[in-house]
Amino acid sequence: MTAKARIRGVIIVGLLPALLVFTFFVIVPILWSAWYGFYDWKGIGAMKFIGFGNYLEIIKDPVFATSLRNNLIVVAASVFGQVPIALALSLVLRQSTLFQRIIRSVVFLPMVLSSVVIGIIWGYIYHPQIGILNSLLEWIGLGSWKQAWLSNPDISMYMLAIPIIWNFIGPYMIMYIAALQNIPSEIEDASAIDGAKPMRMLFSIRLPMIWDTIKVTVVLCISGSLKTFDLIYVMTGGGPAHSTELLASYMYNNTFSIYRFGYGSAISTSIIIISTVLIAGSQLLMRRNTR
Amino acid sequence: MKKVWLLAFMFVLTISLVGCSAGSNQAANSDKTPATTSNGDSGKKSEEKVKLSLWHNFTGNDLRATMMRDQIDKFQQEHPNIELDIQAIPPDGYKTRLKTVAAANEMPDVFMMWPGAMTKEFHDGNLIQPINALLDSKPEWRDGYMPGSFDSFTIDGNIYSATLGLTPTSILFYNKAILDQYKLEVPKTWDDLLNAVKVIKEGGLTPIALGNKAAWLAQSSIISSLADRVTGTDWFLKAAAQDGAKFTDPEFVQALTYLQDLWKAGAFQEGFNSIDNTQMEVMFAQGQAAMMIDGGWALSNLAANATPEQLEDMGATVLPSIPGGKGNPNSLAGALGSAFGLSSKVEGNRLQAAYDLIYALSGPEVQKMTLDSSNLVSYKAELDESKVSPIFSEVYKLVNSVERTPVYDGVMTSAGSDAVNNGLQELLMGGDPQKIAQKIQDAQATSLQ
Repeated sequence: MTAKARIRGVIIVGLLPALLVFTFFVIVPILWSAWYGFYDWKGIGAMKFIGFGNYLEIIKDPVFATSLRNNLIVVAASVFGQVPIALALSLVLRQSTLFQRIIRSVVFLPMVLSSVVIGIIWGYIYHPQIGILNSLLEWIGLGSWKQAWLSNPDISMYMLAIPIIWNFIGPYMIMYIAALQNIPSEIEDASAIDGAKPMRMLFSIRLPMIWDTIKVTVVLCISGSLKTFDLIYVMTGGGPAHSTELLASYMYNNTFSIYRFGYGSAISTSIIIISTVLIAGSQLLMRRNTR
Repeated sequence: MKKVWLLAFMFVLTISLVGCSAGSNQAANSDKTPATTSNGDSGKKSEEKVKLSLWHNFTGNDLRATMMRDQIDKFQQEHPNIELDIQAIPPDGYKTRLKTVAAANEMPDVFMMWPGAMTKEFHDGNLIQPINALLDSKPEWRDGYMPGSFDSFTIDGNIYSATLGLTPTSILFYNKAILDQYKLEVPKTWDDLLNAVKVIKEGGLTPIALGNKAAWLAQSSIISSLADRVTGTDWFLKAAAQDGAKFTDPEFVQALTYLQDLWKAGAFQEGFNSIDNTQMEVMFAQGQAAMMIDGGWALSNLAANATPEQLEDMGATVLPSIPGGKGNPNSLAGALGSAFGLSSKVEGNRLQAAYDLIYALSGPEVQKMTLDSSNLVSYKAELDESKVSPIFSEVYKLVNSVERTPVYDGVMTSAGSDAVNNGLQELLMGGDPQKIAQKIQDAQATSLQ
């Protein structure tokens, strides 16, 4: 047995328990839930098979369309907000002086807080009467800009995207810093000797060297955004009148508030399909960029 | 660069493992599951000891929850031959837990359940049995209830539970000091109310505090009574059953328009759709608003959050009358409180034990003690005014002097109520009443099929 094959064997044996658990607790329920999606079921009583009825209803459901639109806003805000900001911060903070370590901890801090706490904090920032944001606007003389930030359907979704971005910059930044620190210093030194300016170094050396990490974070970012639920649930509950509903909150409301288990399951399955498509699409786009 | 992928994959696996272990801890921490109970039952049937499982949600530290737990302890001491397997589940998760065991057909023997939609679902699923025999064996207890106390627990003449409480949902609370300051009377008619709104708003104060983030408040507290004033109770019951009336009927659209007019007149503060019920009660208690329309649950929150002077200033009345309305203006929307249901699987000597348990936890003494702990009951009990706040005794008198009308979400299906909740939020952002009525009609009609 070659060394390589033996290592592979060890990896497989090591992964097996986790893989089994993963299969039974993630893969099987997903298939199960997809199966429920073909039924009209209230949770109690008989299940009625209705074929693709739930899926046809999803296509026609205006609230599903709103949730999808809102969810795409969150995905866009995450991919074009979290990733670049985290990347910029990681480039600035990649060394380990005391000051940089402190700033790094500060940026990472929101990740440590539970999303319920974050939801309540931001709820008070946006509070229509006693909110910090409105008081601040008043104080700098922009009192006319004061808003009910979370109940105005024209802006509430964008206002909700801000805490989502803020919340998740930390972990991506840490991953980028780790990747940047993994770049062999010889390469950087060699390019410096060849006379590469900082910008050139960034685009020709550093970004290409950490490109795979960026790809992974984009995948995590998209799948994470499509699952966004807790923050929205705490801050607006998907309201007012479904205007900040996301796919996950709409699925939750259908399943557990109005007990349409079948329809909720069909929405879950749609979320999986949509996120697979988005992730595959983003990977295709990013492949073209490098090769 | 395969390594990165492998790392990411293992990261996901680790996360899922962490999630699983957290889940199993929870399961291990909670008490015996109902499945183990029923196994135990079959094994011990020959013995004299009777085993019963009991699920309740009196987990808090408020007067009522402590009182109920004391009653359960007392019952256990007095009945050494009955062994209770008790699960106390915090109220927030209680309904979901109950629905889950209902879906699996593993109901506990005696459990807290809600009137209306839930009772009907459990009845349709053949999960509960009537307690008429128990009620008829204690006539003095049965006759002590106020009229209509069994309504929403009754299906085809069978009574499935005896209510432990009464929740009026639609009380107009007002701040006497503020009304005096603006030289206003307590509004009796719709025009009075609109006038009061105008005067208070011009004075720079919020006329009516509203916290409709959770969306059910405008439905339970405002539209349930307001629409009843306009349409009458009969119309609503027919529309909810989709039998001879529809939510698109002009009277309902008119009721929605009344509410929208109130909003257009500037009755509510900015951003009411993003603050919750508690924040609204705090606003009212602190005198930042002259009025609020809230349910009986406000009483315990007010008692906890307001100073005695603030409580002294508060008054309570019914919503104002509507010109030309078909409903009784001297009425108040209200729902029966949750109470103990009995699983259809309980029989033999366990049935008598379960009857004893239900009586011990819902009988006349418990009703009286519930009232003394500042919770309204649907039972003829004398209030000891020294034990409660003045606003509580005022609400108690109010509730006992007016007729009770149904609450929308107590009668409509879950999906229909959800459409009303969201529709009202839309209405209070300027939505078209006719279109909203159509959405409510569609949701209710579809879910009844």
